[in-house]
Amino acid sequence: MVNAMKNFKYIWALGLIVTLVLIIVPIVIFTSPGENKIVDDPWAGVPLHVPHTDHSDIIQGPFETGSDVTKACLECHEEAGSQVMATAHWTWESQPYNLEGRDGPITVGKKNTINNFCIGIQGNWEGCTSCHAGYGWDDANFDFSNQENIDCLVCHDNSGIYVKGKAGYPVEGVDLLTAAQSVAMPTRENCGGCHFNGGGGNAVKHGDLDETLYFPPSNVDIHMGEHDFLCTDCHQAEDHNIKGRSISVSLDNENQVYCTDCHNENLHQDERINTHIASVACQTCHIPAAATRDETKMYWDWSTAGSDEIEESVHTYLKIKGSFVYEGNFKPTYGWYNGTASRYIIGDTMDPSQITSINSPKGDIHDASAKIWPFKVHLANQPYDAINHILLQPVTYGEGGFWHEFDWGQALQLGSDIIGLEYSGEYNFAETQMFWPTTHMVRPAEDALSCDHCHGPEGRMDWQALGYYGDPIDWGGRFRSNSYQP
Amino acid sequence: MHNKMKTNSRIFRHLLYCGLTMLFLASAGFVTHSIVQAKQPVISQTQLSTIHPTFPFLDDVGENVLHTGKPVSTMNTCGACHNTTFIEEHSFHVNLGFGEITNPGETPSGRAWDTSPGFFGKWNSIAYRYLSPVGDDVVDLTLATWIQTLGVRHVGGGPAVYAQNGQRLIELGADPANLEVNVVNPDTGELIPWDWAESGVVEMNCFLCHTPNPDNQARANALHNGYFGWANTATLLGTGIVEGSENSYQWNPDAFTPEGNLASEFIQIQDPTNENCGLCHGLVHDDVEDPLIMVGCTPERWSTITTGQIVSPQKLSDSGMNLTNKDELNRSWDVHAERLLKCTDCHYSLNNPLYYQESPSTRPEHLIFDPRRLEIGEYLEQPLHQFARGNSAQSTVAGELKDTMRRCDSCHSVENSHDWLPYKDRHIDTLSCESCHIPQMFSSANMVQDWTVISLEGSSITQCRGIEGDSDSVGSLISGYEPVLLPRQNLAGETTLTPHNLITSWFWVYGDPPRPVRQTDLQVAYLENGAYHPGIVLRFDENRNGNLETSELIIDTPEKEQFVKDRLSHLGLGNPRIVGEVQPYSINHDVATGEWATKECQACHSEKSRITQPIQISAYAPAGVIPEFVADSNIAVSGDFINMEDSSLYYQPQTDPQKLYILGHDSVAWIDLAGTIIFVGVLAGIAVHGGLRFYTALRTPHSAPRTPHSAPRTPHSAYRTKKVYMYSVYERLWHWLQTFAIVMLLFTGLVIHKPDTFGIFSFRGVVLVHNVLAAILAINAFLSLFYHLASGEIQQYIPRPRGFFDQTFTQARFYLQGMFKGEEHPFEKSAHKKLNPLQQITYFAILNVLLPLQGITGILIWGVQRWPESANRLGGLPFLSPFHTLIAWLFAAFIVMHVYLTTTGHTPMASIKAMIMGWDELEVPQSAEEQVTGKA
Repeated sequence: MVNAMKNFKYIWALGLIVTLVLIIVPIVIFTSPGENKIVDDPWAGVPLHVPHTDHSDIIQGPFETGSDVTKACLECHEEAGSQVMATAHWTWESQPYNLEGRDGPITVGKKNTINNFCIGIQGNWEGCTSCHAGYGWDDANFDFSNQENIDCLVCHDNSGIYVKGKAGYPVEGVDLLTAAQSVAMPTRENCGGCHFNGGGGNAVKHGDLDETLYFPPSNVDIHMGEHDFLCTDCHQAEDHNIKGRSISVSLDNENQVYCTDCHNENLHQDERINTHIASVACQTCHIPAAATRDETKMYWDWSTAGSDEIEESVHTYLKIKGSFVYEGNFKPTYGWYNGTASRYIIGDTMDPSQITSINSPKGDIHDASAKIWPFKVHLANQPYDAINHILLQPVTYGEGGFWHEFDWGQALQLGSDIIGLEYSGEYNFAETQMFWPTTHMVRPAEDALSCDHCHGPEGRMDWQALGYYGDPIDWGGRFRSNSYQP
Repeated sequence: MHNKMKTNSRIFRHLLYCGLTMLFLASAGFVTHSIVQAKQPVISQTQLSTIHPTFPFLDDVGENVLHTGKPVSTMNTCGACHNTTFIEEHSFHVNLGFGEITNPGETPSGRAWDTSPGFFGKWNSIAYRYLSPVGDDVVDLTLATWIQTLGVRHVGGGPAVYAQNGQRLIELGADPANLEVNVVNPDTGELIPWDWAESGVVEMNCFLCHTPNPDNQARANALHNGYFGWANTATLLGTGIVEGSENSYQWNPDAFTPEGNLASEFIQIQDPTNENCGLCHGLVHDDVEDPLIMVGCTPERWSTITTGQIVSPQKLSDSGMNLTNKDELNRSWDVHAERLLKCTDCHYSLNNPLYYQESPSTRPEHLIFDPRRLEIGEYLEQPLHQFARGNSAQSTVAGELKDTMRRCDSCHSVENSHDWLPYKDRHIDTLSCESCHIPQMFSSANMVQDWTVISLEGSSITQCRGIEGDSDSVGSLISGYEPVLLPRQNLAGETTLTPHNLITSWFWVYGDPPRPVRQTDLQVAYLENGAYHPGIVLRFDENRNGNLETSELIIDTPEKEQFVKDRLSHLGLGNPRIVGEVQPYSINHDVATGEWATKECQACHSEKSRITQPIQISAYAPAGVIPEFVADSNIAVSGDFINMEDSSLYYQPQTDPQKLYILGHDSVAWIDLAGTIIFVGVLAGIAVHGGLRFYTALRTPHSAPRTPHSAPRTPHSAYRTKKVYMYSVYERLWHWLQTFAIVMLLFTGLVIHKPDTFGIFSFRGVVLVHNVLAAILAINAFLSLFYHLASGEIQQYIPRPRGFFDQTFTQARFYLQGMFKGEEHPFEKSAHKKLNPLQQITYFAILNVLLPLQGITGILIWGVQRWPESANRLGGLPFLSPFHTLIAWLFAAFIVMHVYLTTTGHTPMASIKAMIMGWDELEVPQSAEEQVTGKA
């Protein structure tokens, strides 16, 4: 009887379970969604924003100089000094790199390169290094090995009161204690203070980085607007080495940030769009226009500088800088790009009758790793040695510089002496161009380009210039029917 | 001169063939690397052909127009190389029904005044004017006035060049009785001769379709003003080849070479672009960036007016239109335009070697593709201008060409893209692709042409759908409209639901055979000296302000109707009366990708099904006249007109006549009623029976311990039971599995039957669960059948024939009487005889009749997509589904009864416990007590 009672309970439960299992299992099997759905969780790639340790009780003043703050930081963050010193934010120079067509490895960086905006920092250190993550770089003898010269606050100040001036020193009157006690992870303001103002002012240089990104609407930048990203959510750092490369200054394509770090490559529902990915960068469609809100500099003519005849206006002419053309919300220029670029290095000879490329994106239709990318192309008319056919770098800032004397001869002589360039004494102006990959200010998906924007009679692509016989919608893509292409 | 011409044309021919050969090689992709490199700039960004040879412009007698200053003759100019006669003879755009002229009233439309199935001779409510049939006394349009008023929608050639007797119009002699050589004098109404030699004729206008920017307005002006011969020349205005206006055009010598040929930089011959087709067919906007704006719904661009179709790659949200929820409308107007398809990619010339495909009906079974193509030179010389066309409801010209074009599934693989869609084949058999992929029109369209009244300008009173506020204001909100789904038949006789707009017209006809009252007569009846006739104002001016607003121009009282009737009669029009007709216009463009298509099951499988969604016909029915569908469309009229309280008129398609049964939408009222009655009846019976049992128990409290039906047996009871192992493990599993499955099937079935009542469930999910449960039930049933056969337990269910009826009666008597008197169960229950005769017959019926029937109907319903013939043989879904529903009701009733009867054991829960545990406690009948004891 006792057995029977046990049996009773057992059978009752077992029977119920078996019956339910027989019913539920097939239903679950049939109703569960298929496995073929693309798993796409872009948030998996985004770091969590954890509250930063409050330093206000940890850090005690008083601080006389920026270096005093740095010393305080280094007391606890012992590794930080050597870590920062290994980064380009400190060295303004790359690791030695074997650039194609050069004898031996070279190092290039803000430190020693030439561009077609303010041209170069050598001799102009005091003015340029206000954006250096250090203190006191005012001549060629700056001590790169002294950890106390590191400026921690420029990236970590969260008080918003910290401002750098000449040679990177904090400007007069900055409350260093308040700034030091506010330290935390870098905000948009920390990065933007320098990167949004490249070229000497808001929006001048990049065309895809400007002060709208402090508080961008969703339709300007989906990541920072709609999803409230910080710069460092994509440009993540390891040991103070921040991810990201740009051919405006970098040689290699290491440690790059990619859309596919977070996004699945084949996530478009439309197979036809997914086939584009082999030849078209995400940015090409998803950044249909550059400089959407703030106009960016497209042309800089140094040759008119120094004139008192032309009326000054910040977006068209400045006596110290020359004439400019700004453009906003423009269609980018499209070209093949595999992540690297050729580079004009100081001392290279150039052909003044041609536009000299400071950096030319590498890749063409035959380069399987290259994709069609959007670029801002900045044209300039800048000084070169009329005899030796090399681009010259003037001293503009400070004593004897062009901005004081308005004397090109003297400014170029000073610059050449500092760099060690052979200057014949005769200069002229020649056109140069720089390519700036358009990669920020990604728009919401619904703003992306559609077929007609590129294909068809009204399309924005110059297919023949890209190496196609004609519109690939008719002629086939470069992989689909390679025999069609030249 | 003649010789030179000959030489010239030979050179052209050589050049042409050279060019053609190159084009062919290039397009076939066989060009060698080196040639292409040498010729790299050949591929232009536009569609202009850079290899078209140069040619002279010739006039109607073949002389160079530079010398004669006469209008260009396309037939001679283009005809120097291309066989323009062939083209003209093989073009329904030229013909427009001219070759299908019949006696009036004998066309498929059945309209007494129609003389052809094409625009030339077929009336429509938007144009309203009609080409008067031969012999009519009251003449509306003669040939010349047809060209003047409606010729802008004709490409020229055919009826604009030739008389019906085959003679050229300019060769016809004067004949007061021939409408082809006369026009109506607007002042006197008398016929006066038309001088074709002076006006010229309208040759087939090649430029309209084959040049990039034809000046259609100049052409329209030339036609309207009667300078027919200049119309084609006017089309070239703006190209730099010709200048001038009206009937005075000068050829620009700078556009020609010294030899008199068109200079190569002026040659802009191209394949027709969407813009070319759009000139007549609908609004085309090929620019993605420049915002598209369309105002109102005035009859200008045919397909846009009739349906709201706009061909543009632009996103709706980027357009300049004031659309409802515009920000969210992040789709293009037309996905095919977005994907850079051209009109001609689907509507191609039927002998275009790149495109044509033999119809599957005439192609040998073993062939998928016939590679024997027309040589491209032959094609360019004699390209058919019969274009592949669809199967629209409204277009009846050249009916033999219907269904010649590519359909959606010629290019798209439904197989590979609709896996998510349950019952794919069934859906695709019933629905056209368009019915889901054109879920909504995002522009306004015409709805009503009310010609029973007339505006001061002489036009009808129109109503638009899809727009709120003034239909001619750019600021009005455009809500668009959902097209009505109508069953449309193709040539193969297959019917699918296809989206349509309905345009309804009311108008006066008179006489017998009837004719529409001419626009001019309407004007005379309504107007006087440019204002409304005082009698009209007296009767129509509702607000007594002395003016007639548009909203007052309605014939809604017998008095108004009679007055207008009298006015028309007074004009000599016998028996004027109002008729109304509904013209469906098919919608096949403005297709959206799957993301925007109708996908939710409940869009159709619900009470307010998309399939039967009504569409407004009009805000009112003039004089209460209910319109009729036109007779010549391929739409099966299967719905009802509904008069709403606010006097508006709707049309609602019905599923019944279409032989459709939409689960979740359709139901058969009497079946649900009968089912409910049976179910409720059983519940009521149980309530009465159970109440009586309870009452009986209360009335005999003392005997309660001895009454097994009303109280549990107490241990002290003298009443004896025995424990019997009644149900094996398998039997119990079978029983309970069946129980769960059936109960859940009934519930999910109910959700499918009335999804609106159970809105929280996903229709699709519930259907899936229902099917899985059915499979479980079926497998369970087959296994148990095997068990019962193999173990011999089947005998339990088979009634013993001898005395069966008596026993059944005995058992029924027990339930109805005996148990209240405390009688014992008439039949002993034992492991060998578990069922009483009543149970036997019931279970036999349930398990052998209802269950199989329900299974078979269920499988057939499930199988309509796989084996539609099997279901159709049994009446299809309209029979199977209600039948399935009826049986479900019976099952529900049975289950209630069954559960109740299980409580009639010696205690209410005893039988249920037995079915759970297997062990039953059986009463030991007094008579058998000793036996039991002995056995124990």
